[in-house]
Amino acid sequence: MEITSQDFKAVSSAKLKDEKLQKALFQAKDGFVVSRAKVIKDLDNFEDIRQAASEVRDHCLAHLDEYLEAWEVRAQASGTVVHWAESYEELNAIVVKIAQNNQVKKIIKSKSMVGEETGLNEYVEGHGIEVKETDLGEYIIQQAGEYPSHIIAPATHKSKEDVSELFAKKHQRPRLNDAEKLTHEAREILRPHFLDADMGITGANFMIAETGSTVIVTNEGNGRMTTTMPRVHVAISSIEKCIPTLDDFALMMRLLPRSATGQVISNYVSMTTGPKREADLDGPGEFHVVILDVGRTRVLGSELRDALRCIRCGACMNHCPVYQNVGGHAYGWVYPGPIGSVLTPAYNGIENAIDLPNAATLCNQCGVVCPVKIPLPDLMRKLREKQYEKNLKSKTERWSLKVFAYVAIRPQLYSIVTRVMARAGKILGGNSGQIKRMIFVGQDWTKHRDLPTPRGRTFRDVYLNKKKTSKR
Amino acid sequence: MSARENILARIRSANKVGEVSDVIGGSVTDRLTSHPESPMPDLTWDTNEKFKQRCEDAASTLDEIGQVGDVPEAVNRYLTENNLPTSLVCWPEFENLTWSDSNIQVESRSAVGDDKVGLTGSYCAVAETGTLVLLSGQDHHATTSLLPETHIAVVRRDRVVKTMEEAWHLIRSEVGSLPRQVAFISGPSRTADIEMTLVYGAHGPFRVHVIIVDQ
Amino acid sequence: MRVGLFVTCLADVMRPSIGLAAVDLLERAGCQVIFPENQTCCGQPAYNAGDRLTAQELARKVVSEFADVDYVVIPSGSCGGMIKAHYEDLFSDLPKYKAKAQWLSARTYELTDFLVNVVHMNSFETSFQGTITYHDSCAGLRELNIKQQPRQLLRTLPNVELREMPGAEQCCGFGGTFSVKYGDISSRIVDLKCDDLEGTEADAVVLGDLGCMLNIEGKLRRRGNHKTKVLHIAEVLTGRNGEEAE
Repeated sequence: MEITSQDFKAVSSAKLKDEKLQKALFQAKDGFVVSRAKVIKDLDNFEDIRQAASEVRDHCLAHLDEYLEAWEVRAQASGTVVHWAESYEELNAIVVKIAQNNQVKKIIKSKSMVGEETGLNEYVEGHGIEVKETDLGEYIIQQAGEYPSHIIAPATHKSKEDVSELFAKKHQRPRLNDAEKLTHEAREILRPHFLDADMGITGANFMIAETGSTVIVTNEGNGRMTTTMPRVHVAISSIEKCIPTLDDFALMMRLLPRSATGQVISNYVSMTTGPKREADLDGPGEFHVVILDVGRTRVLGSELRDALRCIRCGACMNHCPVYQNVGGHAYGWVYPGPIGSVLTPAYNGIENAIDLPNAATLCNQCGVVCPVKIPLPDLMRKLREKQYEKNLKSKTERWSLKVFAYVAIRPQLYSIVTRVMARAGKILGGNSGQIKRMIFVGQDWTKHRDLPTPRGRTFRDVYLNKKKTSKR
Repeated sequence: MSARENILARIRSANKVGEVSDVIGGSVTDRLTSHPESPMPDLTWDTNEKFKQRCEDAASTLDEIGQVGDVPEAVNRYLTENNLPTSLVCWPEFENLTWSDSNIQVESRSAVGDDKVGLTGSYCAVAETGTLVLLSGQDHHATTSLLPETHIAVVRRDRVVKTMEEAWHLIRSEVGSLPRQVAFISGPSRTADIEMTLVYGAHGPFRVHVIIVDQ
Repeated sequence: MRVGLFVTCLADVMRPSIGLAAVDLLERAGCQVIFPENQTCCGQPAYNAGDRLTAQELARKVVSEFADVDYVVIPSGSCGGMIKAHYEDLFSDLPKYKAKAQWLSARTYELTDFLVNVVHMNSFETSFQGTITYHDSCAGLRELNIKQQPRQLLRTLPNVELREMPGAEQCCGFGGTFSVKYGDISSRIVDLKCDDLEGTEADAVVLGDLGCMLNIEGKLRRRGNHKTKVLHIAEVLTGRNGEEAE
């Protein structure tokens, strides 16, 4: 997918003014945040479980080569064809090749963020093969010609009215006005495609080394359909999704649905190990897994390594005050919110997403809800350090910092400068006690809010003077 | 070199950089063979009650009967009470029950797009989450629990385990290697992709009815 | 007990009454207050901007200035969090300072945490009365676990009613330079915060961090709300009204 993260400022400003989007974001926030808070309460030792999951993810990453090899051996033993891809183009080409080898004309697809990264749909369609997204949210945005704004709720930016209008136009049917009817219309439209598609593409939430399996976690059942109905099933995944054992998977499943949608478990957890067995009456005759490494190994060897623990639940974005107000599209690439602010520059180059690590208050709401304890604010700060080292910060910011540092390390000068600021600020504020307008960097403050005035004297001056007087 | 070799080589060299955090430690082979359990939540609840509670939480409906022979009667009751179609497809194990007392048409085969009701068994069930565990296989068509609008599943009470970990333990000891698909099903298909409004029957069944059998 | 007061640069310049209130509280608790006169900034602005070297320089200064006290007390979760949660990382490649930072970190307390858990203070002389809603500052809450401490202290005041707002733990949108670099996003976030706190109809929103304070007060006034007081908890506990500079 093309990256547009450099437009963050302009796009986010526009999103703040988009009333329909604001309403949708408000609903989503309420839904996700409240449900998660409720459902984690039924685990008496939620924090221990979080800690354990984070340690298991670290352990996987520390032995990732061995676990991938172990996974591969077992996957192949069960008849899975394993492919590796080092670029988006390579992954896309592998998928098309599989399709062509099997005379595939129509593909049904269950949501895959890796597929969003590689721009798979466009590529496949460019080769004359039809692709139908089947997750309702993904279907909606595919029909609208957009891309996901959230990793688990791709169409969360769309209102019911948007969907209503879109479906009426695309399905050539009378306009429907409630979510249930719209959902069932999509079901009706998509059902024949499930039945006659030649190939299914899914992502993989996890690859399990113990058994050579891939797993997808869904609520709609489209994942199970996609892995069951067509003749060929291709799962696309990336190297960091590998976990050791079925028990480790059970551990992740106590966290993933709770953190994502506030469910105890998602409706359908479908684990695939190889193609259909000889005696099976249903299931695909061929099963392929394509494993991607774009950016992952680079991040593995960097100080951003912890980000690879991510299990893609979306809790960080759901709880982020910035995401909650600007939505996912402002971030300009596949992964929005805090994890996106780390992965986007990490995978695409820090110079291509300057704003993202900075557009955060570092409030750490993301860090405390992350089910695998990724220290997201620390990682964003490390990216800021990289920007500083590489001279990618704006002149204003560099100079402000330089001036600040020059003064702050010289206590004498500092006490004079602050004395002047306290005095001048009080005068500027006048009787109202608020400064209404400032210039230079300050104007970006007073454009939006007042600045309470200083009180005329610094604490230092008041306190030291008081001490002197009392000694006398 | 192949993509595979390149990727594995890059992982190895990346893991040599700096401090690699691994509190768990131990060898890969050890973990894969001993598959240690992680910290478990409180499991002191009653398995049977919890399972029923969680099924209801997941919007499944429930019935409890004495023996497998009572399945036709229970199915008949459920379908009639809910004004649902009375012809169904089922797994072979239910074909030879006494259906003649009910007015239900039963076919033992894979489900197709038009089938309205599917009757399956389940390998086991997980109480912690109200989940049916279905293994694909010769007599266990995956489509039966997927395509019809109504899925009825028969679960033996002594096959309800507490956790997913216990389910894996059963599968390891009874089945060995995994079948093509292990499906964990917790209630009817659903989505909330339009304005966070919960809607049942997204792509899979609109209804899941769980019949718990004592023997 | 020798207690070093790190007053923080924002309180120093913007609202000296907070520092004075902190001194009052510490002295009433029987502490000998030490104010190292050369103190300036903890280094957080530079650290968060990615300027590690400047941050280290300032942090070294803090570490050496507070080398001979029993405790360091800070009327700010944010600066306290910097010292307690981040100095160790900041000095990760400077072993000599890392050890000193760990020493300092173990002795450093956010003001309300110190009052509750070290000196166990439970009675206050204050003229303040009215309803209060408490805003949890991000660093205090999520880096230092400051949640019950301020509430426990406020509950000891006989004429104060504590009324929780929804989303008390939600960020106010300040975020240091974020507030000016992404002014419109910051502004939206603080608007929502103002909605929440105004909804409680409390007389005052009380908090423990200057950044949030300037942001919230500035927004309330810009919205035309001149009624809701915005006070630091130290001011409430001592009855200092925030206007004085003596």
